Amino acid sequence: MMRIDRSKLRRSIICWLVLLPLVVVVLFPFAVMFLTAVKPSEEVFVYPARWLPTTYRWANFTDMWEATKFGVALKNSLYVSISSTILAIAVSIPAAYAMARFPFQGKGLYRQFLLVTQMLSPILLVIGLFRLAAMIHWGEGNLVDKHISVIVAYGAFNIAFAVWMMSSYFATIPKDLEESAWLEGCGRARAVWKVFLPLAVPAMTVTAIFTFINAWNEFAVVYTLIRSDANKTLTVQITDLVAGRYTVEWHQVMAATLLATLPVSVLFAWLQRYLVKGLALGAVK
Amino acid sequence: MARTASGRPLTPWLLIVPSLALALFIIGYPLYNIVFQSLHEVSRFGLIKDFCGLDNFRKVMADPVFMASLWRTLWWTLGVVGGTVLVSVPVALILHQDFYGRGVARTIVMLPWSVSLTMTAIVWRWAFNDEYGMVNVTLQRLGVISSPIHWLATSNWAFPVEILVGVLVSVPFTVTIFLGGLSSVPGDIYEAARMDGATAWQQFRKLTLPLLRPFINMAIVLNVIYVFNSFPIIWVMTQGGPSNSTHILVTYLYERGFRLGKPGEAAAISLVMLTMLFCFTLLYLRIQPKEGEGS
Repeated sequence: MMRIDRSKLRRSIICWLVLLPLVVVVLFPFAVMFLTAVKPSEEVFVYPARWLPTTYRWANFTDMWEATKFGVALKNSLYVSISSTILAIAVSIPAAYAMARFPFQGKGLYRQFLLVTQMLSPILLVIGLFRLAAMIHWGEGNLVDKHISVIVAYGAFNIAFAVWMMSSYFATIPKDLEESAWLEGCGRARAVWKVFLPLAVPAMTVTAIFTFINAWNEFAVVYTLIRSDANKTLTVQITDLVAGRYTVEWHQVMAATLLATLPVSVLFAWLQRYLVKGLALGAVK
Repeated sequence: MARTASGRPLTPWLLIVPSLALALFIIGYPLYNIVFQSLHEVSRFGLIKDFCGLDNFRKVMADPVFMASLWRTLWWTLGVVGGTVLVSVPVALILHQDFYGRGVARTIVMLPWSVSLTMTAIVWRWAFNDEYGMVNVTLQRLGVISSPIHWLATSNWAFPVEILVGVLVSVPFTVTIFLGGLSSVPGDIYEAARMDGATAWQQFRKLTLPLLRPFINMAIVLNVIYVFNSFPIIWVMTQGGPSNSTHILVTYLYERGFRLGKPGEAAAISLVMLTMLFCFTLLYLRIQPKEGEGS
């Protein structure tokens, strides 16, 4: 099976050579993260600095976990990302279904509206979002420094992406299957439930994972709305270890960024072809 | 082709309402509130005082840092988007080829997308550290420079470095769009072109580029919007410094609003930015050749 094709081999070498600079630049931060994270602290600040540590100090990770309250931030990140994903997907599934299945008045308008929501990035609205959170009474005080405010904001800002991705996938699910279910006396809603949704699960899963990653990586909204250490998510918690400080424990910071980044990167690497396909499908329409 | 709607015409609207309501609430109110705040004197703690007309706008315009940030935002957007497209076209063309390890190459190129901009900025801030950063170490080892460069502490270096980081993180998304475009190009037209004796460059100029044009346009528009609004890279790497030399409008806005306690002025900057985005979109729709209302 593995008969090496000469011309393909030559082409492969050329392709890799051309890509090499980009590959180096992409992998560079990962190397920096890893090698700094495992360096003993006294080796991080020596001049001239070296790439490789003399010993691999894995205990950096456990030290960092304690020192940076990583566990709390991790829990907050998971909670906010999962909840906002559920919210975004829940409101986007019916909308995506409508976009994929019904011709209706105002469809173009709705699509344009989604486009506009993409254009108004959270950072432009952050002043207003903060006021909104401060205005709504919740429990003892208001919604500032409450996870729910971040969750609802993420949910809203991810609708456009979720609807776009899912409706382009939904459109590839043959309509005949549902229609034949109607002929057998199945109501429209039941047909959706019994026939359509099971087929749509992969598309929903992929979209949900990317929505999750978006929420996991977001910075500006959570940076503005969340104030107390107990409620901070990973992006903010780790930024606070760096921003406006004179002494930064870089080995701990790198250990933290690595732990916060790696699981998501692996997930993403595994699923990126679906994203390529989904966006392409959406673009063609 | 289009089948008539079965079911009531109300159904699709009912399906859309939840998402519409949520998005309108989260975007509509803040938008209204920003307009309101921009026209009022607002205290550091968000207390709305008197209506002050366009005072906030006047104060902002009078600040030399604002004008500098405005121009820098244009350079930032132009630099990042231009650089990204220039890098992404050849990369997408290569990744579209059939070669050994293509799957791995695609995964590597996509990787920066998976990392939070914040984390990327933190890692690069460390990598560009004066004495201990790996960039200086590597360049010194290779003999490119003799003494460490103060990348982020020097006005002339900090901003270009940030633009490069911006390009790096924008490439994956852009390559994705181009790959989608390339996969929609039928392979047999290249076959035919080769038969006619077209060189690789001619094939690129006459076939690939025109077919890729709509995708390039889309990538430019989306990237302009994202990059124009991009906050974490500059905020984390330099916070607008040294001496305000890397502020773009978003970081300037954030500093005014949440660090210097001037929400009214920050709201005014938001509106200026929204207007700029709006003008850009209109301009784009103007220039965009009519391709028929695709739906």
